[in-house]
Amino acid sequence: MTTIDMSANRRTLLKAGLGLGGAALLGTIPRRARAAGPDKINIAFFTETSPSAIAKGNGWIEDVTKAKINWIEVGSGAEINTAVAAGSVDLGIGIGSAPTAAGLSQGIGYQVVYIRDNIGPAEELTVRTAANIKKPSDLIGKKVATPFGSTSHFRLLGFLKTNGLTQHQVTVLDLRPDALVAAWQRGDIDAAYVWAPAKSKLLAAGGEVFRTYDKLEAAGYVIADLIVARTAFAQQYPETLVEILKAENRALDVWTSTPDKAADIIAKQAGVTPEVARADLLEYDFVAPKRQLEPKWLGTPGHPGRFAEVLQSTAKFLAEQKSIRSVPDLAVFQKGINTAPLGQALV
Amino acid sequence: MQHRIRLRAWTLLSVALLIAAWLILTWGGLVRDLFLPPPDELWDGFVDLATDGYRNRTLLEHVEASLWRIGAGFATGTVVGTLLGLAMGYWRPVEALFAPFVEFLRPLPQLAYLMLLIIWLGIGETSKIILLFLAALPVSAVAARDGVRNVRLQSILVARSLGASEWQVFRHVVLPSALPEIFAGARIAIGVVYGTLIAAEIIAGSSGIGWMILDAGRFLRSDYVFVGILSIGLMGLALNGALVALEARIVHWAGR
Repeated sequence: MTTIDMSANRRTLLKAGLGLGGAALLGTIPRRARAAGPDKINIAFFTETSPSAIAKGNGWIEDVTKAKINWIEVGSGAEINTAVAAGSVDLGIGIGSAPTAAGLSQGIGYQVVYIRDNIGPAEELTVRTAANIKKPSDLIGKKVATPFGSTSHFRLLGFLKTNGLTQHQVTVLDLRPDALVAAWQRGDIDAAYVWAPAKSKLLAAGGEVFRTYDKLEAAGYVIADLIVARTAFAQQYPETLVEILKAENRALDVWTSTPDKAADIIAKQAGVTPEVARADLLEYDFVAPKRQLEPKWLGTPGHPGRFAEVLQSTAKFLAEQKSIRSVPDLAVFQKGINTAPLGQALV
Repeated sequence: MQHRIRLRAWTLLSVALLIAAWLILTWGGLVRDLFLPPPDELWDGFVDLATDGYRNRTLLEHVEASLWRIGAGFATGTVVGTLLGLAMGYWRPVEALFAPFVEFLRPLPQLAYLMLLIIWLGIGETSKIILLFLAALPVSAVAARDGVRNVRLQSILVARSLGASEWQVFRHVVLPSALPEIFAGARIAIGVVYGTLIAAEIIAGSSGIGWMILDAGRFLRSDYVFVGILSIGLMGLALNGALVALEARIVHWAGR
């Protein structure tokens, strides 16, 4: 309860602060107050095979914002949460839905402004072929690794739960993607739930896909990669945000219209071969900007989409796992989605 | 005596001030629980961890897992390190043989070679304990070596002229003189091992107080993080206290 009270408190404070700041700005330099964009933007990103890498690699964000971009590489959405809470990140590109659900539940001051992709089969359970794992119960007594706190972790725990397996029967280990590949090659683990490029490396080193995603999606374990913007940043620089989303849309167009060209640029950014990049990219369902505004996903201002429910059910699961303390009302997640900038980017 | 009581009062005052600031900041609503949990939430978090546990293990089980790793790494590291250091101090050729490795290893941040240990030794307990072992070893080796070096040459010469064998000189003159430094080294080593614990528990964790803090931190569960920090801090005080007590018993004559 205190969480909600205090966040409301802080929000009012924040608003008051912004108001004061705005007034000061208007008082001194009225001409620049509206049009001026930020001088510097802190953007957190992942090294991954996604169209976002095109916008970054081609310097589009720098071009459209005319700001100095401080690119901060992160290894998990949790790092983005911490950085936004500390006010050191303005924009998080590619943050997973699980850490976002956790962040919104804890009242971190950011908003979902974009759904980049529905992860689908791009994150999947990979098992060692030699371990002969054919059905869920074959995992009993085996070690399964996943980066804790990630969308993959969320899916893996959902997989265990929906199949009636406990973490006493299956050992779930916390490993970052690079360490996970090393442990796999040594033979320390028999299965892993992870994303590309780590997943591709496991498949190349005696692994095979154990399909879980379709059943999990049907059971409500939908996972997605998003773009979040610090609320104060989105309020202060709405035009800048619109321009950045336009650049993101353009990057997606490059992938859909010229996949080979896109794969080349993305491969360079992610440090993989163009063939691997292309194969990885094909597994994602990149949600076209227009589709994002449909009721199935983000919805439109005043008509929140069903993605808010996905975030809330993710948060419920995280609360069961004790990763977060409590789950707020659906309204909190609906308010945590801001579709206005994307709407304007499409005009 | 009165002086000591007055100093105690200062200590109490500083702790009381800190707690008062904490109460005002949290219960006064000046800081959100995400940044600093209020006492009641911290207590709830503690009870939760102690009874229900974190990721299938209770707080005590996490503490036990960490203590076992610390104990194993510290014990092996200081024993091997001290023996090596004594040999290095007493026999120059041994020093010449091992000094480059010990000196190189000593300032090396453990995280730098963490990945290599995972590849070489796997993700089980071995790599974790070896990491702690490698943290403790150079510190105690250098302390023991310096301890031997500082033995007064006079004492050795007197012992020799009285007909003591090489072993007797080592056992009755060198070793006792080096003991205070060996203990000082051990206390530094426990600090280093302690600092390395979190790095060790990054490796495929699912247990240990260091891992718990990291994992809870990922979700900004600051109540669990604070409980973890308090536990790890109190554990550190207890371990240091135990070493000080042991030191007072064995080398009670030191510093007199």
